[in-house]
Amino acid sequence: MSEDKDIKRDDPMIAAEYALGLLEGEELLGARGKVATDADFAWRKEWWDNWFAPLTDEVAGMEPSAELWSRIAAEVNGAEATGGENSGAEVIDLTSRLRRWQWTAGITSAAAAVMLAVMVFAPGSGPLSSPSPTDTPQIAAADPLVAQVPIGETGLRLDVTYIPESERMLVGAIGLTADGVHDHELWLVPADGSALQSLGVVAPGEVTAMELPADVARNLGNGVNLVLTREPIGGKPEGQDAGPVVAEGAFSQV
Amino acid sequence: MADARQSTAAADMARERLRDAMVRLADGDSAALEEIYDATRVKLFGICFRILGDQKEAEDALQDVYINLWQRADRYDPSRASPISWLATFARNRAVDRLRTGKVRGGAVPVEEANPLPDQAPLADSLLVDAENAAQIHTCIATLDENTRSHIRSAFFEGYTYAQLAEAADVPLGTMKSWIRRGLQKLRTCLEASEAS
Repeated sequence: MSEDKDIKRDDPMIAAEYALGLLEGEELLGARGKVATDADFAWRKEWWDNWFAPLTDEVAGMEPSAELWSRIAAEVNGAEATGGENSGAEVIDLTSRLRRWQWTAGITSAAAAVMLAVMVFAPGSGPLSSPSPTDTPQIAAADPLVAQVPIGETGLRLDVTYIPESERMLVGAIGLTADGVHDHELWLVPADGSALQSLGVVAPGEVTAMELPADVARNLGNGVNLVLTREPIGGKPEGQDAGPVVAEGAFSQV
Repeated sequence: MADARQSTAAADMARERLRDAMVRLADGDSAALEEIYDATRVKLFGICFRILGDQKEAEDALQDVYINLWQRADRYDPSRASPISWLATFARNRAVDRLRTGKVRGGAVPVEEANPLPDQAPLADSLLVDAENAAQIHTCIATLDENTRSHIRSAFFEGYTYAQLAEAADVPLGTMKSWIRRGLQKLRTCLEASEAS
């Protein structure tokens, strides 16, 4: 790299790069995470957005097709009409289609963490062999990893809990609601830069427990990133690129 | 001059109405969405089309913009940005997201192929982002050299990343980063100076 040493790549600079959309890969994920967790950085990103916004004034206005509003209105009305029980049914249906996900209805994420601890210590609860399932002190020493994935600036977030020895993970999406148009898929970003690994579609409003396959569990650790992408219903279609990243978080040891 | 004052007053009123509609939408009044759509679709569709270069994709992006706005209207903070500035940024970012999902390639579809060619409408004053801000960013961008200026504009309007800009200009990635970072640093100094004065 022949990047100048005299240009300081401080946070305001990174915020500008992010606002303009110059970043890719890890740098992009890093900036997304920072917007969610660092108020100064988020402020600076908006500062740049506000300055860049007037550039759009030079774009000629255009009239979209007349029927576009009815498409939007239909989607809004449709979602409002089915906002009640039906969206719950959709969630159940989606969840049942996902392999390895287990339905655990009606518990909060705090309760989920307790429940997970119980599952870990219950004999025979781990179908995947852990390194030394009977070595209780070692299990106790293996601190859970938790990650919070804030969803934009909504105040909502995903709570992800993983206890290393159990190879089980809980994903809590309390407060999220299904929009009937999109699903959100959670991905693990392996620290070694290898391909993202899908952790499945998130079930809005619920806590789900899953067993992690060994090739995924191997990549979990302190500081490992998670990203949430917006996908068509059912998750990322085979052979297509993943949708845009809408939220990001990292595991830390409790 | 009277005309200019009048149109400024009209723009202020339009902005106020839009801000009010955004607040009502955030409070759960779905009807406010149509008001917002009526006031902003021409500008936002222009932005989506400029970035995506395809009528259908731009309309899908625009639909996505308003649906998202409806779902998450509370993300808009009236104390931080004018509503049209925020919406323009939102539309621009959604269109760039769509470009990056790989379904469309900006510029891959010639503008003329978009069929039927929609009417291009000059923007009403009420749709312009705050005039003072606009003058200042243009003044500051004008202080950059032509090369840097065009790359920053490509990033904004074409959704190009550093890597894509470097490839398009056939220079090493590090060189492109240096050019743009030097430009951004200069831009920031100029913009902050204008805020201080």
